[in-house]
Amino acid sequence: MVKRLSLIRQMLLASGTALALAFGGPATGFSADLLLFAGAGLRQPTDSLIEAFQRETGHTVRVTYAGSGQLMSSILASGQGDLFMPGSLLYIERLAGMGRIHSFKKVVAHTAVIGVNAQKADLIRSFDDLARPGVRLALGDPKAMALGKTAESILSRSPLKEAILKNVVVYGATVKQLAMYVSQGDVDASIIGRADAFQFRDHIQMIPIPRGYFQPETIAIAVLKGTTQREAASRFRDFMASSQGISVFEHFGFLPVPEAESQGTRP
Amino acid sequence: MNRVFVLPLAVLFLLTAAVLFALFFRLSPGEIFAALGSEETRFALRLSLTTSIGSTVLSLILGVPTGYVLARTAFPGKAILDTFLEIPLVITPLIAGVGLLFLFGQSMLGTRLGEWGITVLFTPWGAVLAQTFVACPIVMRSSRAAFERVDLRYECAAASLGLRPSQVFFRISLPLARQGILAGTVLGWTRAMGEFGATLMVAGAIRFKTETLPIAVYLNISSGELGTALSCAWVLMAAGFVLLLALRWIGQGPRSEILPFR
Repeated sequence: MVKRLSLIRQMLLASGTALALAFGGPATGFSADLLLFAGAGLRQPTDSLIEAFQRETGHTVRVTYAGSGQLMSSILASGQGDLFMPGSLLYIERLAGMGRIHSFKKVVAHTAVIGVNAQKADLIRSFDDLARPGVRLALGDPKAMALGKTAESILSRSPLKEAILKNVVVYGATVKQLAMYVSQGDVDASIIGRADAFQFRDHIQMIPIPRGYFQPETIAIAVLKGTTQREAASRFRDFMASSQGISVFEHFGFLPVPEAESQGTRP
Repeated sequence: MNRVFVLPLAVLFLLTAAVLFALFFRLSPGEIFAALGSEETRFALRLSLTTSIGSTVLSLILGVPTGYVLARTAFPGKAILDTFLEIPLVITPLIAGVGLLFLFGQSMLGTRLGEWGITVLFTPWGAVLAQTFVACPIVMRSSRAAFERVDLRYECAAASLGLRPSQVFFRISLPLARQGILAGTVLGWTRAMGEFGATLMVAGAIRFKTETLPIAVYLNISSGELGTALSCAWVLMAAGFVLLLALRWIGQGPRSEILPFR
């Protein structure tokens, strides 16, 4: 193990030197400067893991947060970047279909829950209560955000779909926007990520979504084919998918991949 | 005029033209026609036009009299009040939207307004509100500057000849300040037309209800459909260009102060 690490380090040193020679890089010469495109909902764990990675390796990771689809557009339009970590595996698969992905690793699961405004917890106790007349719901736009798509497929499996859709008063473009509407009481409930409900846990209660209504999204991190720093990028990919990486994600309300398949627990 | 000044003009022109070319280059004709033909794009264009014109009219109703008051009066703390009214110019639109969301949400004004049957959040009215909030300070600021440039002696003469203050305003000050107010209206209107962040928070991104063109652009960028997003952006730019040109044409008056180019 130690030998392998030192081998990797040597390779990193070599590639770093080559890069510095090729691009007249920073004075340090040996450290990579990685660009990561990450889903906006993954910001908290990602920030803290980047800090740890930078301390450990001396590499720099710059990160751009935005909606996953928007990030995909940026990658396609610019051809830049080393790493991509969207809110749904779907986006990696779409880029892979266009030959833009070198490799990827699964990190954690992004589980959907019903987030209910704490003051409306008596009104909404189960998924079926979303169909009650007078309930005000927010959902994500099904084309623009991963959880909007998830919500759409959840509803398509519910016999109460029509009644629930009738209660939707607003569609949002990012999941934090939905979480804010719920926590402010502008709507009574929404289908959001478990981690988002967890972040606003003082104002939002979680209600599990019935089993069989959906598959949890998988968060994965991909090394982009266009990267010029593949060694360092792969190292960051492995760091995020390591047990250390996963435990930081769990700390922010995400679930590990296998457990998520039987999701629905309250915190 | 010195020819050196033409160089920056050329740089600006080339930069704009190059950006437009880069935006156009990526589009296939099929994508443009698909976007133009789609009911959603046409809805977004109609909504953008109606909400932005509505908010520009509201901005004029609020901004022009405010600008007049600020131009014609002096009182302690005026500079502070003046700057205070311009704060919406420096707030990030997204934060302006969050502020409006809090204010018109359930915890503050929302419940009371709801009792009166007025719903602002998540309706096109929310879009008008958001756009007015960001466009109004621009109209106010330019109106104020325009009124300040009007020679006070005209107003005094009119008043001494027996015009009431309201008549002085409508028959003397307003026509004389027309150019500046119109310039501010154009700026405010373009700002309203392109407004995105505040609208997204206050009105939401509801397809066929609150989806303005900038929101349509954002939704399509978010879903990775660059072609549709760019086509919507072109519709927005084309509509903006036509309306700007029309406004400029309407506002064209005698312009003796402009030197012929030599």
